Amino acid sequence: MASPDFSLSVADCPLIQVEGWDGTLGQFEKSLSTSLDTKLPASVGETVRQKSLLVIRVAPRRLWLALDDGAQAWSLAVDPDLGCSVSLGEGRVRFSMAGAGVAGVISKCIAVDWCAPAAAPGRAVLTSLHHVPVLFLRTGETRCELIVPRSFSQSLSDWIADVAG
Amino acid sequence: MSSNHKRLSMGGRIDREQPVEFTFDGRKLIGYRGDTLASALLANGVTLVGRSFKYHRPRGIFSAGPEEPNALVTLATAGRRQPNLPATTLELADGMVAESQNRWPSLAFDVQSANGLLAPFLSAGFYYKTFMGPTRRAWMFYEHFIRKAAGLGRADTDLDSDRYDISHAFADVAIIGGGPAGLSAARAAAAAGARVALIEQDFLLGGQLLAEPSDSAAAAWLRQAEAELESSEPVTLMKRTTAFGIYDGNVIGLVEQCDPGNPLLAGEARQTFTMLRVRSIVFATGAIERPMVFSNNDRPGVMLASAARTYLNRFAVLPGKKIIVGTGNDGAWRAAFDLADAGAEVTIADVRAAPPTALATEAGRLGVMVRVATRVVDVRRGHAVRRATLNGPDGQSEAACDLVCVSGGWSPTVHLTSHLGVKPEYRDDIGGFVPGAFAADRFGAGSMMGIYSTTDAIEDGHRAGTAAASFCGKSAPVPAPSKLDLGETATVPFREIPSLGRGKAFVDFQMDVTTGDIELAHREGYESVEHLKRYTTLGMGTEQGKTSNFAALAAMAALRNATIPETGATTFRPPYTPVAIGALAGRAIGHHFKPIRRTPMHDWHMANGAEMLEVGLWMRPYFYRQSGLDVNDAYVAEMRNVRQAAGLMDISTLGKIDVQGPDAAIFLDRIYANGFAKLPVGRARYGVMLRDDGIVFDDGTTTRLAENRFFMTTSTAKAADVLSRLEFLLDTAWPDLRVTVTSVSDEWAAMSVAGPKSRAILSAAFPALDVSDAALAHMGLLESEWQGRALRILRLSYSGERAYEIYVGATAGQQLWSRLLEAGGPLDLKPYGVEALGALRVEKGHVAGPEIDGRTTLDDLGLGRMAGKRAGFVGDLLRRRPAFQAPDRQRLVGLECIEEGKRLRGGAILFLPGEKPYGHGRGRVTSVTFSPERGHYVGLALLAGDVASEGSEVVAVYPMKAETVRARIVSPVFLDPQGERLHG
Repeated sequence: MASPDFSLSVADCPLIQVEGWDGTLGQFEKSLSTSLDTKLPASVGETVRQKSLLVIRVAPRRLWLALDDGAQAWSLAVDPDLGCSVSLGEGRVRFSMAGAGVAGVISKCIAVDWCAPAAAPGRAVLTSLHHVPVLFLRTGETRCELIVPRSFSQSLSDWIADVAG
Repeated sequence: MSSNHKRLSMGGRIDREQPVEFTFDGRKLIGYRGDTLASALLANGVTLVGRSFKYHRPRGIFSAGPEEPNALVTLATAGRRQPNLPATTLELADGMVAESQNRWPSLAFDVQSANGLLAPFLSAGFYYKTFMGPTRRAWMFYEHFIRKAAGLGRADTDLDSDRYDISHAFADVAIIGGGPAGLSAARAAAAAGARVALIEQDFLLGGQLLAEPSDSAAAAWLRQAEAELESSEPVTLMKRTTAFGIYDGNVIGLVEQCDPGNPLLAGEARQTFTMLRVRSIVFATGAIERPMVFSNNDRPGVMLASAARTYLNRFAVLPGKKIIVGTGNDGAWRAAFDLADAGAEVTIADVRAAPPTALATEAGRLGVMVRVATRVVDVRRGHAVRRATLNGPDGQSEAACDLVCVSGGWSPTVHLTSHLGVKPEYRDDIGGFVPGAFAADRFGAGSMMGIYSTTDAIEDGHRAGTAAASFCGKSAPVPAPSKLDLGETATVPFREIPSLGRGKAFVDFQMDVTTGDIELAHREGYESVEHLKRYTTLGMGTEQGKTSNFAALAAMAALRNATIPETGATTFRPPYTPVAIGALAGRAIGHHFKPIRRTPMHDWHMANGAEMLEVGLWMRPYFYRQSGLDVNDAYVAEMRNVRQAAGLMDISTLGKIDVQGPDAAIFLDRIYANGFAKLPVGRARYGVMLRDDGIVFDDGTTTRLAENRFFMTTSTAKAADVLSRLEFLLDTAWPDLRVTVTSVSDEWAAMSVAGPKSRAILSAAFPALDVSDAALAHMGLLESEWQGRALRILRLSYSGERAYEIYVGATAGQQLWSRLLEAGGPLDLKPYGVEALGALRVEKGHVAGPEIDGRTTLDDLGLGRMAGKRAGFVGDLLRRRPAFQAPDRQRLVGLECIEEGKRLRGGAILFLPGEKPYGHGRGRVTSVTFSPERGHYVGLALLAGDVASEGSEVVAVYPMKAETVRARIVSPVFLDPQGERLHG
């Protein structure tokens, strides 16, 4: 849907989750950083962009590696003694929202403070939309994304469209 | 049309350029923009606006705010009925249709006002004493009539056509209350650099300043403050917004009313429920004036003194011409002076022997008669006050009047602070309760802290706002507050001593609780304030003790010969004012009531005749209309097709959990009753989890994908619970295990091909894969790719037939589904729904949700051998407790119907032949199906072990349909007990 003040588009969301074991987290992060050729976000909610890849720390030992839609897929080898990985891209959908009205729409969807440093551009927040767990990604002053479970995506996009309508 | 004959020609904060037409009980009236319904009614000379709850006594407008106990009306605008709304808080709007409540046939002549004659029988607790007999069920008879006679407005039974919304808001500092203290706090907090939300229930800011003349210094101060705040970027002004509750984590529940002056746009919300999250809170909630207790103090024409002053100065309404002001404090004198200045003939009856000289001097200047050491003891006439009885040093006398203003002092509004568990504390110097000690992030300011001078309240608000901002780390320099001195003198507390004339003296107007009721409660031993509240219904209803609480406490304290602190206070709970259920629901109604989950094949099901069924949040195919006209025809046809050819089932809804880590096998060994550590890579195993108490929690299969990686499936219903449980155990019980669990339920589209032709269908669909028994044995795994996505084929069976579960990336689910149907079409592959799925598993004797119901153990379900002598898993110890080994414990059995033309039903209660069908019986039928294989109904049941011998008969009783049917106890495995069809 699109209006002068708000637009919503829905796309697939190539995504890999990686997680390091307690005790060897430093080694895991060093190895991962080398594999990705980028530093890793230091704390939960921080993100680091590396070309078409966005690295998001979603939990102290867990990161999501989100590829831009259409970017070439890649595989990641994780030493099982240090951590593990699991693909989540088939099961997630990316809602991209933009426009002057986006903050107002978001305020009726999720409990995230658009003005807070924790939700500033480049930040991520795990939260819930209509009781469904979603990841909020602030991508710009008037832009954001939600990464939502595929099975709920129709219901949630209907909700957002209704709020914005 | 009305004359507005009580409206003054000048003054007030109404917009005389914007007349507003409304009706009250069908009578067309005119008010102005800026009026409330109450002020407009008073302006039009309407003094009788309602009937009381129990006695149906005539009631008028008593206050000018949300504390109003009497003037409750129903709004019946545009076909909607909203009952029990205080007229004092309703912003007047064009076309408003208001109706009085609790009267018949009319407000002026209400038949049930005869209840007043029955008053001696309607005292506190009369329900409990009067309607207890003659039989236990007698109350059910009486209740209908009692509820009809007593009560408030009627809610509508039609769908609420209005729209409501829910939003989330954030700020550094919330300031609740837009009076002088709140405004000052907001200015200070904003100046300090904090993001501020200023919440005001009224449609105008100002609080008690609105009761000051519109051309006064107070009005100028207010205008300046408002302008400053409106232009201040970090301040959000939330007018028409009531903070109804304070919750953990500084979450404030707000309800915002839409502006009735602006017509609602399509889709716009009438009310918005906002959850405001803040770092600190300033409570500037003000104080509520107390009534005085005397005979007939509830009559129309008796009004709080502060309310009379508000109607005069804010709404330009002179509510009376001959006015008696009964008080014991200085504040009410200001009302008397303003009313006199506006042309009324005013007499002050002050209980004090020597009020301040300055006040007496001013009274003399304005021609106000002062009677000291005098109190109002009674008023006369029903629908409007005409005379008052005063008791003074010279004895009793009567005085003509058309308005009696009362002021029994002030009670700080401590409702919201009480929600946080802050106990109110009594302060003798102000004669009222103030909040106890606040947490570091909360502050109080102004009259809610017992500071009644405007000058001091502004200073106090400034202090609180600065401190609240500082708590949030905002400490920019804050200029001194702009001063406002209204020349108030201190409010001196006085202890209410009810003085009685000949009629009832009300303590709680809304609940019709009198001093007599409190005396009765005391006599009968209900001395605790909490007991008093419940026995008399004091402080209930929409008013929630705002005006009644203190007078009742004082009365009970006097009866107990105790102090007020010794007597205690009741606990205030949310909501502060009534909240529409619609506002709490917000948008979560209709198709948004709850989110719906759709499988990757959902669109195919919808396009191909599936009748869908909601299972948890999932939409699943119930049956396919191509299989039969109704579910009973269809599921039997679908079952037959699975048994004879092959069926395709969408099982994407199964919970799927990725379990990884060097300790994954150890972890599974602990959470399952049966072992997994020795499961070879590429093999699957059925597992059962127990709760700590030994009861079965969930079941499913888990497949070993690699040495350190497993793929777990759970039941659809328990997917979230199981994941949550696993995470909990890893975080709390075994943080040393290097294991992670991740829901991959949405990651995989899953489908089951079941039936004797299933292998041939797989061969046709995946010609490049070897799906022979050698390559893919029962409980085996085959991993591959399909169209670039990961593919997993597990050879598992739920139906008892040879079957395969096929998992593919969700985005390719629908394609693969179609591919299977295309490849399997020549082999009679057809889709089947959950009804057939359930029936197939019943025939095979597999347990599911109806049997794993939170009450059954492994042994109950015949699965005890799975655990064997293993130990160390969750639930191991308590599953062995003696109670679970009792011989009469209900165990899983099979039942087959042995009466021609009859059927079994799920939920039927089981009795032995000849037993009286009464009580809980010997067991219950959990699942049933018509078995095409057996040609009659079969079922699974949980039956007492001491009577559950195979071959015996039981009687299944289904009271809902008055059915009784004989059944034989058999093995729960109705089909292929040797499991040969798994390999067929």
